[in-house]
Amino acid sequence: MWRYLKLWLSLAKFSLLGEMAFRGNFLVKIFVEVLWLAILLVFNFTLFQQTTHIENWDVNQYLFFIGCYFAMGGLIETLFLENCNQFADLIRTGDLDFFLLKPIDEQFLVSCKHIDWSCAPNFLLGLGVMGYALWTSGWVLNYSQIFAFVALFISGAALAYGFLLLLTSASIWLMRNQSLYEMWWLFTTLMRYPREIFSHGNWATPAGFFFSFVIPIMLVTNVPARMMVKTLEPSWLAWYALGSAVVVLIVSRYVFRAALRRYRSSSS
Amino acid sequence: MPIIEANGLSKTYRVYQKKEGLLGALRGLWRREYKEVKAVESVSFTIEPGEIVGFLGPNGAGKTTTLKMLAGLIYPSAGNAQVLGHVPWERADDFRRRFALVMGQKNQLWWDLPAADSFQLHREIYSLSAEQFQRTLGELTDLFGVKELTRQPVRELSLGERMKMELIAALLHQPRLLLLDEPTIGLDVVAQVTIQKCLRDYNSIRGVTILLTSHYMRDVEALCKRVLVITHGKLVYDGPLTGIAERFGNEKLVKLQFDGTETPGDLGAFGEVTSREGPIATLKVERLRVAEVMAAMLDRYTVLDVSIHDPPLDQMIAKVFEEGTTPAPELVEK
Repeated sequence: MWRYLKLWLSLAKFSLLGEMAFRGNFLVKIFVEVLWLAILLVFNFTLFQQTTHIENWDVNQYLFFIGCYFAMGGLIETLFLENCNQFADLIRTGDLDFFLLKPIDEQFLVSCKHIDWSCAPNFLLGLGVMGYALWTSGWVLNYSQIFAFVALFISGAALAYGFLLLLTSASIWLMRNQSLYEMWWLFTTLMRYPREIFSHGNWATPAGFFFSFVIPIMLVTNVPARMMVKTLEPSWLAWYALGSAVVVLIVSRYVFRAALRRYRSSSS
Repeated sequence: MPIIEANGLSKTYRVYQKKEGLLGALRGLWRREYKEVKAVESVSFTIEPGEIVGFLGPNGAGKTTTLKMLAGLIYPSAGNAQVLGHVPWERADDFRRRFALVMGQKNQLWWDLPAADSFQLHREIYSLSAEQFQRTLGELTDLFGVKELTRQPVRELSLGERMKMELIAALLHQPRLLLLDEPTIGLDVVAQVTIQKCLRDYNSIRGVTILLTSHYMRDVEALCKRVLVITHGKLVYDGPLTGIAERFGNEKLVKLQFDGTETPGDLGAFGEVTSREGPIATLKVERLRVAEVMAAMLDRYTVLDVSIHDPPLDQMIAKVFEEGTTPAPELVEK
């Protein structure tokens, strides 16, 4: 474990050095991400000028939700998205060979080789928005609540990573990753809204149920955010989210390893 | 105990046959035709510790596929192999710590960073102690003559320098087996010779076993005493490099210098004239008829000088590759 942590720190360091070599590109990426958050916030503040609640979320609760979504997205994009996105190219070019030759867990190396530092500010901005939302709502410091939130946030990140790895593994069969990106954007869209939005209508209710309990991608942000600013209902949802994360991580690892067995390695 | 033991190693690929045109592409959406391609067919050989073995064959013969099976990158369709006492495609960490694969057409170093940073990462991956790492790196940068270049971004190195860095990265963990897939491809003659020398020296210092594929016969001649020849997925020769001429070269080149300023006009009666230059001519003569032809020519002409040798190795190898289109000749054991 210590060896993997040291290796991850080295990978993080070299990724940062690599990105710093192209300073302009690095700064532009950060600027775009900040702009993206600003647009999202302006849009939601505009909505709240017309109404006091979206479903049963008030403005501060909803702001916290957006912060949680942004921090979660930032974390996944910093740590894993770029790596998973490159996976199809590694297969197509045969460069995956070098990952398989190393005496280290292949999933670790494929998932963590590159840390996309230009997305890291999203995580910090998300934390900032969450902190601001708690402050304006007059939240009282509660350590057990913070602990529960952190645990559920990590479990949400694990759940999202598991789904991303499942989509990534499909690249072995598909050879291209456009479909991966499409699916991932669908998933992030589902992560962006409170679950209650999908509680009305002939289509929305089954869709909400499907993406909460069958493919529980909506739980990634809903469960930690709700735990922090509202009451988690039903209360077993936290355990369901934790259990889903464990199951999806195990299944995704199994599928990833099965996919590697199908790897053909392109000709040199 | 052999370092590599391959028994009946085979690999068959299922390749999608794309139909021409839009209609064909549409049909391919719901009904696809596949063809089975036998990339490697029942290849068997063993390699002992410390050997440098050349793996020869034309493009698509199955060299790289065999190499990748031995490296554990792909699973064979049939057969088995033991490399360093392991089944390679189980990819045990202990196995992966003890060998390295270098592919001349691929780059595993971090492109935008100096090679020294990639070496550090290798140190972490292979859990090398700081002392062992520094000592090995010092030895290797001296051997390859690139001590001054390790802090330069990889993308700014020449092809030859980059290949040296690739080899250093591959040797940092002191592998017992080095698999090289066309390590000198695209390099100029000087860089080729330097790499050949470094590999030879490293083999004699460390006793590393090397299995090398190359299209440059110079690499093979400079490094390998033994060669494996594969065509159309089948091993057609396994033996000493010098045995290639005996096995496949059924002709000799006879070079003659005649008295006078010109060669005689009727030399064609003795063999195929491959060159004429002033009084010097070279004839291609069947190996079994050399003595008879020489006697006849010495009888008829005044010959000042004569030399008999095998045709260039690359010509013979080309002939071996051509033979691969016909039923494979019987395998010659080492």
